[in-house]
Amino acid sequence: MKKLYVNVRYLIVPVMTVTTIIGLFIGGIYAWIGVFLFGINTILDTLTKDIHLKADFDEDGNSYGIKIFQYSVMYLMLPIFIILQLALANNLYKFIYLEVLEISELVGSILSCGLWAGLGIIYGHELSHNKREGFNVSRAIMALSGASHFTYAHVYNHHLDLGHEDDPATAPRGRNVYAHAWLSHAGQSKFSYDLENAKLKKLNKSFFSLQNKWLLGYLYSLPSIILFVWSGGLVGVIALFIVWVISNFLLEALNFMGHYGLIRETGKPVEHRHSWDNDNLFTSWFFIEIGRQCDHHVRGETYFWELDDVKGPNYGIGYFSLFVLALIPSLFRKFTQKHLDNWDQNYATGAEKEIVNKYYVNELLQKASK
Amino acid sequence: MFKNFFNKKKSFAVNIFPGDQEISISRGETLLAGALRSGLAWPHKCQVGSCGRCRCKILEGKIRPEIDFNYVLDPVDVASGFVLACQSTAKTDIKVSVDLIHKRK
Repeated sequence: MKKLYVNVRYLIVPVMTVTTIIGLFIGGIYAWIGVFLFGINTILDTLTKDIHLKADFDEDGNSYGIKIFQYSVMYLMLPIFIILQLALANNLYKFIYLEVLEISELVGSILSCGLWAGLGIIYGHELSHNKREGFNVSRAIMALSGASHFTYAHVYNHHLDLGHEDDPATAPRGRNVYAHAWLSHAGQSKFSYDLENAKLKKLNKSFFSLQNKWLLGYLYSLPSIILFVWSGGLVGVIALFIVWVISNFLLEALNFMGHYGLIRETGKPVEHRHSWDNDNLFTSWFFIEIGRQCDHHVRGETYFWELDDVKGPNYGIGYFSLFVLALIPSLFRKFTQKHLDNWDQNYATGAEKEIVNKYYVNELLQKASK
Repeated sequence: MFKNFFNKKKSFAVNIFPGDQEISISRGETLLAGALRSGLAWPHKCQVGSCGRCRCKILEGKIRPEIDFNYVLDPVDVASGFVLACQSTAKTDIKVSVDLIHKRK
């Protein structure tokens, strides 16, 4: 029974994504179901903010997670996300060429698709820490959102340079989520480009080589572009652009919330204090434990169902609730300030405190003196 | 024909030089994971194949690379047998050269 509970609880996203797809095919008010579910999730996340669970292990220390089941689900999410795009393309075709769809239905379809493509990126993240087929499925899932570069940048950049200015995915204090989404996305793509360039030069290969994973990654997104051009022409391209903007915004919002304002001294190992944990019940189950960032960044290849509470810095609220705060930068800064102060006092090393003083406190003093 | 398929070895012996220490790693387990499980102070940092700290040289035997080592290691080094222990699983018994932390000056 415990095994069933531990494994089934991570099915919220697959079930809700399929529900969204069905809504898109039915049309009418149901085309908005993805947006509605996002709202419901925000409420559930807020209601469960004080419930924090530990990872489940039996008496012998073995996890209750069933690897083959969890991996089957994650792999299955690739065709599900493809069907999600097909459902939107179908609605575009009905709107443009058959003229049987209202504009409100199309808008609902685009927003629903964008939100769930974005939320589904959690599988792209999880599988990026796998090898061969898992890694390739990750690339394919990310390519559906035009972000195939993420898979390489996440492993070779974010996990190595976390908490440092060389990591575009770590947001410095004072940055808002809107600026971060663009800077992090572009920065990771640039990193991936440089990584491939350096590798190809070392191997004496041309930039236009089949070994150029940066270039290939963007080519993987070509089928989506062709599908939307075919189904909706210019409107289709605009629809796909909106879907990609929403899904990438959600991805970068997760990066933003996971490491905002945290600092690591150059060359020092990544430790639990270099990430924020978001591990209330709903966030943990919905985001397949991606919120257990503190443990994840120290044990990068640990299965998500084995990640645990390591008493790292914690905002105390889940991702949905924090995301709403992040959308209002002044509110987010106010909320996070007390957590950052606590981090400076109770988690930061002497050298990290010096960096805080150099880059933040001095800057504030200078601003105040002007 | 299927004998080897059904009788796959479940673990492999890893001889570590200098020092000639022997450990055993399971099929599918990375060299680094096996070494750390055996209590060896194998140098490492990120464990995801991006820092290069766990690099070592395969002297004998075959490994299965889990990622493309050319991102982190020099291709000349890769050609001469250097691998990332955190991204290498054994295909046969192996002999490997690594400077364990306690051996460092």
